[in-house]
Amino acid sequence: MDNLKEDLKKQIIEQLNLEDITPTDIADDALLFDDGGLGLDSIDALELIVLLEKYHGIQVVNPEEGKVAFRSIDTMAEYIRKRKS
Amino acid sequence: MTYIGAEVIISPLGRTTAQNWAAISANQSGISLVKQAGFDNADLYLSKMLDLVDDYKFERLLSDALTAVSEQIDPKILTSQRTIVIISSTKGELDKDINDPFGKSIAALVERFSLVNQPLVLSNACISGVLAINAASNFIQAKIYDHAIVIGCDLISDFVVYGFQSLFAISDKPCAPFDASRNGITMGEGCGAVVVSNTKEIFRNGALQLLSGTSANDANHISGPSRTGEGLFRSVRKTLESNQIAPDEIDFVCAHGTATVFNDEMESIAFDRVGLTNVPLSSLKGYFGHTLGAAGVIETTASMQMMRHGTLLKSLGYHESGTSKKLNVLAENVSSRPETILKTASGFGGGNASLIIRSL
Amino acid sequence: MSLITTYCHLSADQCSVNGKVVSTRERSAAGSWFKQIYKEQEFVYPKFYKMDALSQAGFLASELIKRANQGIVNSYKDDEIAMLFANQSSSADTDLRFMHSYEHNGAPSPSLFVYTLPNIVLGEIAIINKWYGENMFAVLPKFAPGFFADYGRILLSTGAKAVLCGWLGVLGDHIEVFVWLVENESENGLDFNKENLLELAGI
Repeated sequence: MDNLKEDLKKQIIEQLNLEDITPTDIADDALLFDDGGLGLDSIDALELIVLLEKYHGIQVVNPEEGKVAFRSIDTMAEYIRKRKS
Repeated sequence: MTYIGAEVIISPLGRTTAQNWAAISANQSGISLVKQAGFDNADLYLSKMLDLVDDYKFERLLSDALTAVSEQIDPKILTSQRTIVIISSTKGELDKDINDPFGKSIAALVERFSLVNQPLVLSNACISGVLAINAASNFIQAKIYDHAIVIGCDLISDFVVYGFQSLFAISDKPCAPFDASRNGITMGEGCGAVVVSNTKEIFRNGALQLLSGTSANDANHISGPSRTGEGLFRSVRKTLESNQIAPDEIDFVCAHGTATVFNDEMESIAFDRVGLTNVPLSSLKGYFGHTLGAAGVIETTASMQMMRHGTLLKSLGYHESGTSKKLNVLAENVSSRPETILKTASGFGGGNASLIIRSL
Repeated sequence: MSLITTYCHLSADQCSVNGKVVSTRERSAAGSWFKQIYKEQEFVYPKFYKMDALSQAGFLASELIKRANQGIVNSYKDDEIAMLFANQSSSADTDLRFMHSYEHNGAPSPSLFVYTLPNIVLGEIAIINKWYGENMFAVLPKFAPGFFADYGRILLSTGAKAVLCGWLGVLGDHIEVFVWLVENESENGLDFNKENLLELAGI
C-alpha cells in the first residue's frame, strides 16, 4: 500500500468535508473532477491547492498547474513526489 | 417620472464628487501598490483610501456621503417620513463586528441625521448597488416612498482580500478590464450616493431621468460567471423592453468589467446577444478598483457625471480586445453628450442587474 | 389577490410545513440538524453537503415548500418566481468560519469564502430550480413584515407571478427560519399582508 496515496485520500475527505465517503471509496485512478469519480468542482480544485500547502508544504502559484496534477490520486501523488525531489 | 441626481463619490481619488471627476476625466487611477496588504504579506495593487484612518470607517463614509447629499437637495427631504435611505454593501463594518456588520453604523446614522424610517440594507454581492437604485425606483413608483437616498459603501479588509486571493482572482498589476492581457480584479474601497425622487424640484443641481431596471439570476453557478451570459442577457433585455427602449437608443454602456478572464468574456457574449456590441462601452474598475457592494452606485454616479460633463471616459487599462465577441471598448476619452446610458452589474450568487439613465 | 399559499418553519429543534411538524431534532443524532432533516426527508442533491448552513436552510425550506405545493414547479415560467430573503446577521455564520480558516487554520479557505455573502442562498435555489427571476437579499435589524409585504407586492406588480420569501436567521445554534410562498393566482391561502405574516412567522 502506498502511504502517500492513502494519506491524500484522508486529507481530501477532511479538507473538502466529503460526507459519507471513506478512503476505500476513492480508487487511485478515479477521475476526481468527473461525475463518475468524486465530482469535484473548480472551488474544490482551489481547496486542493490549500491542501498541498498545508499538508505537504508545496506552493502552487498557477492554478492551471493544478488542473493536470489533480486528475486523480495517482497524478497528485506523482506531482507531490516530483515537487519534493 | 422618476428622477435621479445629487450624486456623490468618495474614493481614493478624492473626498468630493468634483475631485473625483477631475481625476477620472484626466484618466487618473486610485490604484496603487500597497505593501504587505495580502495574505503572507504579499504586496498588492489596491484602490485603497490610505488617508482614511478613522476608527469607524464605514460609519464615517456613510455619514460623509449623506452630508454631501444633503447639500445638494432640499434639506427637508432628509428627515421626511416619505424618504427612505437604502444602503448597498457586502461586508459593512465587518472589522468591527463580524456578527452584526451593519447595525451600529446604521443606528448612528439614524440618530445623527434624525432619519424617520429605518434604513434598508441590501447585500447582493457585486450587484447590490444597481439593485439598490432599482429598489429605490420601485419604492417610488409604488408610492410607498417619494424619495430614496441610495448609499453604496464597502471597505477593503483582510477578510475580502484574503478571500479573493484564495480564489486566485486578484490581478498582479492594476486591473485591465476587457483587455487581452487581463488577469483578475483589483480590489477597491469607497462610497457613492444618489438621490432618487418623484420630484424634480428637490435637486439643486438638476436631475436626470431614471428608468427602472431589472435583475435576473444566471441559475448556473454561485461563484463563476455563466458561459452564455444568460442572466445578464435577460436582465438587460427586460430592462430595455420594460422601458420600451431599443438597443440602438443606448449611447453608452457602463459595464461591470471586473477584469477576470471569465467575467469580461461573459459580458461580451451577453452584450452581443442583446445587440450592443457597437455601443461605446467602458468599465470603471481601472479607476476605482472593484468596490463590491459600492461598485454599482459609484459607477452610476460617475456615469451621471459623464452625462453632465459631456465626456465618455475611456476604459482605463484597455488596449487590445480580449473577448470572443468584440465590443466597442473606449480606448480614449470621447467628447460626447450621451442621451441614454445603460449600467450593468453581475456578481457572486449568479446575480445580474441593469438600469438606464436618460438626460432630460 | 396575492395569497400566502405554503410556508415552512425551521427552529433549533423542529421543522414544520404549513404548521405541521415533519422533523424533530434528535439531539443524539450524528451530524448536524440540517443534515438530519435532509436524510429523513430523503432528499437527493449531493451538493447539499457542500453548502453552508444558510444555504442548507434555504434548500430545505424551499424543497419542502415545493413538495407541499407541486404546482410551483409547473405553473410558472422560469423567470416568474422571484425571491425575497432577509435576515439579521447576513452571512456571519460562515464569515466566522472563513475568518477562522486564515487566522487559525493556516490559509484562507476558498470553499468557505464563496459562501461569505448572504445572497449565495438565492443563487443555490435558483440553480436547483433553473429560476432566472428577480432576487433580493436584505439585512434588517429584526423580522420586518412590512418590508416583505411592500417589496413582495412590488415584485408581484412588476413581472413576477409568485415570490418565495424568507427570513433566514441562522447563526451558530440560533435557528429562526421562516420561508413562505406568495402567489398571485391562487384559490387557497392567507392574504399576503403584514398582520398575517407577523402571526404566521411566530418570530
